[in-house]
Amino acid sequence: MTLNRRNLLKIGGAAAALPLLGSKAFAQTEPLKVGFVLVGTINDNGWNYAHNQGRLYLEEQLGDAVETVYVENVPEGPDCERVLRELAQQGCKLIFATSFGFGDSVIKVAEQFPDITFEHATGYMRADNVGTYNARFHEGRAVCGTIAGHMSQTGKAGYIGSFPIPEVVMGINSFVLAARKINPDFTITPVYISTWNDPAKEADAARAMIDQGIDIIAQHTDGPAALQVAEERGIVGGFGQGADMSAFAPQAQLTSIIDNWGPHYVKTAQAVLDGTWESKDSWPGLAEGEVQIGPYGPKVPEAVIAAAEAVKNGQIDGSFNIFTGPINDHTGAEKVAAGVTLTDAELLSMDWYVEGVIPPA
Amino acid sequence: MMQFRLEKRREPSRFMLYATPVAAVFLTMVIGAIIFSAIGFDGIGAVREIFLTPLTNSYKWQDLGVKAAPLIIIGVGLSIAYRANVWNIGAEGQYIMGGLAATWVALASHGSGGWWTLPAMMLAGMAGGAAYGAIPALLKTRLNVNEILTSLMLTYASVQLIYYLVRAPWKDPMGMGFPQTRRFASEALLPNIFPGTIVHAGVPIAVIVALIAWFIMSRSVFGYQMRVVGAAPHAARYGGFSENKTIWLALLVSGGLAGLAGMLEVAGPFQRMVPGFPTNYGFTAIIVAFLGRLNPLGVIFAGIVMAITFVGGEVAQTTIGLSNSATGVFQAMMLFFLLAGDILVRYRLKRVVPQTEARV
Repeated sequence: MTLNRRNLLKIGGAAAALPLLGSKAFAQTEPLKVGFVLVGTINDNGWNYAHNQGRLYLEEQLGDAVETVYVENVPEGPDCERVLRELAQQGCKLIFATSFGFGDSVIKVAEQFPDITFEHATGYMRADNVGTYNARFHEGRAVCGTIAGHMSQTGKAGYIGSFPIPEVVMGINSFVLAARKINPDFTITPVYISTWNDPAKEADAARAMIDQGIDIIAQHTDGPAALQVAEERGIVGGFGQGADMSAFAPQAQLTSIIDNWGPHYVKTAQAVLDGTWESKDSWPGLAEGEVQIGPYGPKVPEAVIAAAEAVKNGQIDGSFNIFTGPINDHTGAEKVAAGVTLTDAELLSMDWYVEGVIPPA
Repeated sequence: MMQFRLEKRREPSRFMLYATPVAAVFLTMVIGAIIFSAIGFDGIGAVREIFLTPLTNSYKWQDLGVKAAPLIIIGVGLSIAYRANVWNIGAEGQYIMGGLAATWVALASHGSGGWWTLPAMMLAGMAGGAAYGAIPALLKTRLNVNEILTSLMLTYASVQLIYYLVRAPWKDPMGMGFPQTRRFASEALLPNIFPGTIVHAGVPIAVIVALIAWFIMSRSVFGYQMRVVGAAPHAARYGGFSENKTIWLALLVSGGLAGLAGMLEVAGPFQRMVPGFPTNYGFTAIIVAFLGRLNPLGVIFAGIVMAITFVGGEVAQTTIGLSNSATGVFQAMMLFFLLAGDILVRYRLKRVVPQTEARV
């Protein structure tokens, strides 16, 4: 629509009639209304982008059977509670809350709306109408760590984390365990920036760590800021998180971990439609295709790609598990005996670092 | 070439002084509808969802109350300070320190609390906020350091303090490593005043604070002092009011109220201290204070208007798919129109006849 005087008059006239408008009644619709609550924006090219791709996949697969809405940039706190209630009151029968810090709010609101199904990503608290779901990102981290072990010149990597929760700690440990299988002196320095998405902080942390001599960077935050710094500073490289970020760092992105939430969203919505949904924890990984490894960057040599593929395929067919002992903790004391594999429950409460991690102060 | 000049009006119209905030809100709605239509959105729908739905849907009233309460309490404090020309920009930091001080009381009394826990948290919250406001006051009165800079920068320091406390000394032992404190015991949580809603005791407290502040500002010597020092500093000095004392009072009162808001938030909606505790209430309250004409009663209405834009912004996202940034655009427009309106109330636009074209 072009801005000319006639249009302006028309819109202006319409705007002047605004006070006459009352609230709009929402027609009751047949399709299952599915709500998504996102901690960042769908344009972050990472975590929230991937969830939105999953939402679009859900619409595409189930067509007229579902209708979706999303709310972005929802802070982890009481604001989330209000958004969840808003979605519930608008008729959503299935709501996905896609960030760890939404947990308290989900449990509280779910109590008030027992006929609505809630699913909380990366959470640990469940109720009759609250399920949790996650993906085994740490399997992807093992692939990234293998590449890092082969390609790092300095043997030092930096890792930008949000909060030291088990999900993040697990990723750091998996990464460094894989790298040390190639280079036993490999170390990693985590930095926690207390947010999932703050490009300026992510970039500052990346610069500071590069100045301290790291040449590989990994991150457990939502966007490509750290990779852009890696590209600009010309270090060996880094890894996309959540989605393929090669558009932002064509040279520096060695590969990426792609979250493929679509199939889970379709399965869950279908279960709610069929009335077969029940509260449980869903935690698939590479084998199920919920975690995928993106294309390898131009810098990665054939031999390294082969090693990375071997680690990936070993995890898919079950012949390789990164959390099989012997594993020492960061002080060097044995934590997991040879041949023993950590259980899911042990992983989900992981609060210790493996050897090779230089713990943050 | 036509030129204009701003000329000070001798006496700004009292009617216009109170009409401008209303006009600013109305203009925001009209211009907002036009702009969003012009770029291809449902502009009228956006304005309806942002400004009207929160008012017409009774479910939303509780959200408005909960969102407006901290804005009103902080806004009242700021309006007092700004009246005295003391520019406290760091209410966010004072809000955080109030929340932290209250958290300390809640954690220290965990398991041994009682009826006194909430009053003690309230006192601690106000003391924490006031103490943090005292730093810029000290620097201003002793070393003449600009309070705008110091109060703003202290905000960032307080955010780091939260991160430190919830990561190490105050970390929830049952929190799976997540940096947050334990959930407060029930004695340390604000009661809900209407069962079945989320309206907590902080909402009526906000209104009471505003009423008391209005009474003090319009009826007491303290209020008179604040207003005179702000409006006519020379006359105030002549009349024996100490400028330093005014600065201290302004920062202690605005800091203390921001701290009270922090206590009410942490004991109300949050129920524990988390890294996401700073939610920009302290900064948004600056708009609220001005939108409310630096008058505590006006601040009540301004707080509700700002709450409407927040709550309505979420409605617009879910119903018509309007991006979250649109809320920010509407809030910014409102402040812009208000400030522009203020200029025109105090000054008149006068056409200046160019002197000679020959002077190049």
